[in-house]
Amino acid sequence: MQFELRTQVIEPKRKTFTNLVERFGDRPASRYEEGSIDIQAVENFHYRPLFSSDKEHYDENWTAFKLTDPYSFTDPRQLYYAPYVQSRAAMNDAFVKTVEYVESRDLLQKLPEGWSSLVGDVLLPLRHWEAGAELVSIEGSRWAWGTTIDQCCTYAAFDRIGHAQNLSRIGIVYAEGHDHALATAKERWLGDPALQGLRRLVEELLAGDDWAKKLLAVDLADRLLYPLMYTHLDEVALSGGAGAYSLFAQHFASWFADQRRWLDHLVKTWLADPTHADSNRAALDDVLAQRWAQIAEAVTDVAAAVDARVAAGAVANVELTTATVATDLGALGLTVPGGK
Amino acid sequence: MTVSPEKPARKLSMKQRYTALTHDLDWTPTYVTEEEIFPFTTFEGIKVHDWSKWEDPFRLTVEAYNKYQAEKDRRLYAVLDGFAQSQGQLGLTEARYMNAMKIFLQGIPIHEYDAHRNFSYLARYANGPGARFAALCQSMDELRHAQTEIHTLSHYNKYFDGMHDWHKWSDRVWYLSVPKSFFEDAMTAGPFEWLIAIGFSFEYLLTNLLFVPFMSGAAFNGDLPTMTFGFSAQSDESRHMTLGLEAIKFMLEQDEDNLPIVQDWLDKWFWRGYRLIALVAGMMDYMLPKRVMSWKEAFELYFEEQMLNGLFKDLEYYGIKPPRHVQWAIDEKEILSHQVYWVLYQYSHAAAFTTTIPDEADQAWLQESYPETWPVFKAAVWDKAQRVQDAGGRYFNPGLPQLCTVCQIPMGFTEPGDPLTQCQRQSVYEGERYDFCSDGCQWIFDREPTKYRQSWLPVHQIYQGNCGGPTLPDVAAWYGLQPGDGAEYLGSPDHQNWLAWHGQAPKED
Repeated sequence: MQFELRTQVIEPKRKTFTNLVERFGDRPASRYEEGSIDIQAVENFHYRPLFSSDKEHYDENWTAFKLTDPYSFTDPRQLYYAPYVQSRAAMNDAFVKTVEYVESRDLLQKLPEGWSSLVGDVLLPLRHWEAGAELVSIEGSRWAWGTTIDQCCTYAAFDRIGHAQNLSRIGIVYAEGHDHALATAKERWLGDPALQGLRRLVEELLAGDDWAKKLLAVDLADRLLYPLMYTHLDEVALSGGAGAYSLFAQHFASWFADQRRWLDHLVKTWLADPTHADSNRAALDDVLAQRWAQIAEAVTDVAAAVDARVAAGAVANVELTTATVATDLGALGLTVPGGK
Repeated sequence: MTVSPEKPARKLSMKQRYTALTHDLDWTPTYVTEEEIFPFTTFEGIKVHDWSKWEDPFRLTVEAYNKYQAEKDRRLYAVLDGFAQSQGQLGLTEARYMNAMKIFLQGIPIHEYDAHRNFSYLARYANGPGARFAALCQSMDELRHAQTEIHTLSHYNKYFDGMHDWHKWSDRVWYLSVPKSFFEDAMTAGPFEWLIAIGFSFEYLLTNLLFVPFMSGAAFNGDLPTMTFGFSAQSDESRHMTLGLEAIKFMLEQDEDNLPIVQDWLDKWFWRGYRLIALVAGMMDYMLPKRVMSWKEAFELYFEEQMLNGLFKDLEYYGIKPPRHVQWAIDEKEILSHQVYWVLYQYSHAAAFTTTIPDEADQAWLQESYPETWPVFKAAVWDKAQRVQDAGGRYFNPGLPQLCTVCQIPMGFTEPGDPLTQCQRQSVYEGERYDFCSDGCQWIFDREPTKYRQSWLPVHQIYQGNCGGPTLPDVAAWYGLQPGDGAEYLGSPDHQNWLAWHGQAPKED
């Protein structure tokens, strides 16, 4: 039983904006739709960019990947700004609680020796990978054609600079409140042979063009790196007495599951496009032909560095993941360059 | 616990910690060159010697950002939901107040969105990590503003005309090419000019003049959602103002050769921005049933007092002078809004807002606020419009106006000191003649004729056959205008609905 509350009811003239009615029919639209579909300007541009004589400031041709209707892609998570920051605030809260817990019990200081060097020498330098991946992601925020794709890239970029900051927090706790572990990690990122493959990859990507090809190359690397660092090692850590590692890894693993949702859907949408499917497939094949071997080698180098510190079967794990990802890509009709 | 010898004894200060979390993520590339990664920061001629000198006064981290913003949005959306549930639009001062919000929805969110996209450009291509992260946060904020503005006004769209097709209008309708060309001008410039154009001139110099009329106007006219949005955006805006000020100081401190370039941009973007907000001047003096203050008062307070007598005194240290053509703007403050609203009034049959002759109370307020100039305009135009209306008609201009090539406002501005003689300036470039509303716009064109000759001028486009056809109904159809979106307010569907909702019979007019 509840008490009755009367409000004045006025019949609305329309349920939502005209463009959404034309697209979805005469039904109320969600806030995701009202805030994400047909936001970017599309026509009657005034001036050519001073930095580009052959493309407009919004132009489909900033990438080889095209959609007949850019809004045939929508974010399966339906994230617009407000739910995005709310979900990330909750993720951050959970991460901060982990940091406080680990710090209060000196868990990073109690790591077995191999795990401790794994954190210092391999995990912490990856903050630079995240910072580089952020720069690649934010390119999509500037150059994508259409708001729904831009928006996913923007949030991914913000997530990744957040990861870089969170890995740095781990480094500060690891060094008991100081920054020398971060300084060492940076030296390794710049000089350790095990990390040069990844660094070379991200630097080459940043210097190249076609934001979407670059985004996909970073994602291919993530698809090998994240399962290794944050899923496989999470399990090994639990049985190897490195609880602190597992506590941190879970946050990155659950983010990656979220990241996959929009990226997989974007790739599927590209490959299913009524007019551009073939050229999109060719563009993805280009990325694979150009980068797949380089990526597998780079992540295998990281895995070898892991195995040198902890008997984690990391190289074997990367091999397995490489095969799985290759199978998944093959199932999409893509050509994955043969075994490395 | 033992402290190893190489370890410094003291823990990180807040500043060191912030640096470790942010700036220190950067590294110098070796597999490619820095120029390959940051290709856009040299062509404008700005010299930067040390990017680490970029200060970030807010020391925001991703974690702190998400936490604050999530809390703000929870509150904002709670207000929007409550307002919709209680049919809050019934508590507005009058339905014609909505015209201010129609102009807002048509002209602002899409360009907040542009700002989002172009701050991402800086978040990617600025060489320094401090500047990049500040730009990234602002990119996020601008996306927030675009979306929260649309969500704030979404409820009104269900009950009022003039809002339902804002996206198409913003790319096509004549008066909306004013903000569109402004933002596209900035987006197609380089990263440093963008920082002066938007970061400094728009977000700092002119921000109060732009937002106070809308947000305080909302507060005075019963528009709780827009007022709440305004409060909710304030802390973002103060970050943006700080970034704008930091940007100009950074450029000026890096190399003295930057001064003339920055001064030129400041001159250009002051005038560009000032002409853009002329639309706001017309809105605030004529479209708000309850006024906050007059344009003249706002200009004196927010520009002359706070900027000319405050900010520019500080910038003198760097050799920065007040913007070129600023005196022209000062001289116009008593006539600007009258001229703009008269343009809007006579062409509102091709617009997505309605206009009406100022009623008795409006006229009393105008007389009091503009004792010198209101009588001149009343006699010159409004008495005539009233006579047409008294005879059962409504004055609309049947022709198409000439537009200024730069600001794209119809040529309705006048010669300095003479409020009744139209100002017309002309430049010839490669055999073609271009027209301007003022010395300011002409100066801007003459600096970059190859840019402004590209302007998509709505009236030219209509005459060239690119806007649906030669007649007004053709163009209105191409614009996507529906009956009720534009023309006269009195007797419009919005007006009639308003009277019906409040139990009053529609007026006979």
